[in-house]
Amino acid sequence: MSRRYGARVALHPVDLALHPGEALGLVGPNGAGKSTLLAILAGALAPSTGTVELAGPGARRGWVPQRPGLYARLSPRENLEFFADLARVPDGAAEAGRLLALVEVPDEPAPAGRLSVGNQQRLSLAVALLGDPAVILLDEPTAALDPRQQRRLWALVDDLRGRGHAIVFVTQSLDEVARVAARVGVLVDGALAYLGPVAGSEAAAREAFG
Amino acid sequence: MRDVLRIARKDLLLLRRAPALALGLIVYPIVVAVLVGLVVRYAGERPRVALVDLDGLPATLTVAGQAFDPAEVIVRAAEDVEIVRMDEARAERELANGRVLGVIVIPDGFADRLRGLTEQPEVLVRVTRSGLGTRISEQAQALVYATNRRLQEAYVAANLDYIRLLREGGRLELGGLDLELLGLERARAMLDEAAASAPGVAAPAARVAQFLSLTDLALDRTGDALRATANPIELRIDRGGGRSDLLSTRVQSYALALAVAFVAVLLASASLAAERDENVLARIVRERIGLGRVVAAKVVLVTAVAGALGVGLALAFAVTVDLGDVAGGQPWARFPLVVLGVALTAAACGAAGAGVGAVARDSRAATLIAFLAALPVALLALVPAAAIGAAVHVGDAFPLVHATALLDAALADAEPAARVAREAGWLVGLGLAYGLTARTLGRRVRG
Repeated sequence: MSRRYGARVALHPVDLALHPGEALGLVGPNGAGKSTLLAILAGALAPSTGTVELAGPGARRGWVPQRPGLYARLSPRENLEFFADLARVPDGAAEAGRLLALVEVPDEPAPAGRLSVGNQQRLSLAVALLGDPAVILLDEPTAALDPRQQRRLWALVDDLRGRGHAIVFVTQSLDEVARVAARVGVLVDGALAYLGPVAGSEAAAREAFG
Repeated sequence: MRDVLRIARKDLLLLRRAPALALGLIVYPIVVAVLVGLVVRYAGERPRVALVDLDGLPATLTVAGQAFDPAEVIVRAAEDVEIVRMDEARAERELANGRVLGVIVIPDGFADRLRGLTEQPEVLVRVTRSGLGTRISEQAQALVYATNRRLQEAYVAANLDYIRLLREGGRLELGGLDLELLGLERARAMLDEAAASAPGVAAPAARVAQFLSLTDLALDRTGDALRATANPIELRIDRGGGRSDLLSTRVQSYALALAVAFVAVLLASASLAAERDENVLARIVRERIGLGRVVAAKVVLVTAVAGALGVGLALAFAVTVDLGDVAGGQPWARFPLVVLGVALTAAACGAAGAGVGAVARDSRAATLIAFLAALPVALLALVPAAAIGAAVHVGDAFPLVHATALLDAALADAEPAARVAREAGWLVGLGLAYGLTARTLGRRVRG
């Protein structure tokens, strides 16, 4: 797949495959095309060329955008029930309760806008988990979190990977990639400069970050 | 459709969670409606006109035996302008800088000429070249007409006094002489007495008596003839036969359309921009819910909210008309047409607002752009076609003009069906066009 904005190429043609229970980290400097690739994979942005295919009938993709993407005036449960409704998730109320417990966000009537940044990020992950998606896509999920919250979030993501969900995440940190993913993609100027095991990515990453 | 209703229901919930905004949505159209009423009531009314009295008119002027107050005559005649007394220099200065739109000059010797009845006195009126100059000239003509009318009444009354003296006799002061007039009635009585005492003159006396009777009869009718000559056509003004400006159908339709349009445009633009603001638009759209359905949800939301407010406002107008026993009464049978007009106005303006929301980066920018866009359109709807012909064609591109026309037809036309149908067609067409534009623009901005 690729993406253009007029004459500007945001993402050169990229071809990649992902398997259940696999985690792929995407790294690269700002403006390298990481979020564009993730948004295309999430179905939030249409590719200029190419397609994204999901194996299995009814397979879903869950997306955690860089900013949480929640209604600040709705409670966590109301947010989940609304998106469950749109996603045609059966028994949205029960699913909302289950996911709030899973991501450890309090099921209280206070609006989501009053949650801590960490709780908002986990609530955003809960929205992404609606409908039991085969692939979960996370765009710099820990960028605004303190180290303790980062550890909690990555533990949750690793648990999801262990349950068979494929994970793709964008980060600026190779350490995070090494902790969670087996493979890494290094993007530079909208092109995939490296795609392979984390162990062999150091040279490409050094070049990418200058 | 279920997705559209889901999103609209969520938006209603969000609106409920913002009580200040919800209150604003209720208060705003009421304020707009009242302001429109007041603007229409007072717009262009009572321009200032200077009165320069070079003659020093007395408090009471007696002409042909009739006394009247010249100031009172002027005020009564010029009730549609504000008469301000000032000296000549100030009047010239204020006319030049536009603070007064006309100057009425009462020249020196005006009262003497009027009393003398030998020379025709003049009143000078100076006006600006502005459009209101014509109106001031008309006011001045009305002023002179009213003064002439009062004078004619005085002259007619004086003439009738003379005729009464001719018929009934009495004392008359003329050129410093105090005279005693016999009068036709007493002359005939004396003639009858003379004829009775001298039978030889009975026949010619009878003929003279007959002449006196006919003369008396003719003079008896002189009053009506004099009045008719002075005023061949009598103008009678019956005030209070129609509605007050504040409740006129024109004000009702414009206030309703404007209030609904403002709320619809602002709410739809802010609501759609807020989806992007909160970074949820992409999340909704990726759930296989096209941007068109999001735009449709905003139109549904706005139709429900602005429509309900508009219907409430229309009901308030209608009840006021009914309770106030206003001339013409409230055409309740037409109320469904008003509701239709309000709903179509809300939907079309909501679609236009969604267009603004689709291109604005955040809800604050959307609100500002929507307001800036709505204001000239609101004023455009007030521009009469005769003033700027092009305004009619430009106005056609915006729902407000058609909304006003539809509501006006619904409230006032004898046969409203054709005009209501035509304007409803415009609103539906514009709503679809703006909705499609909003979807297209939203896609572009979203990438």
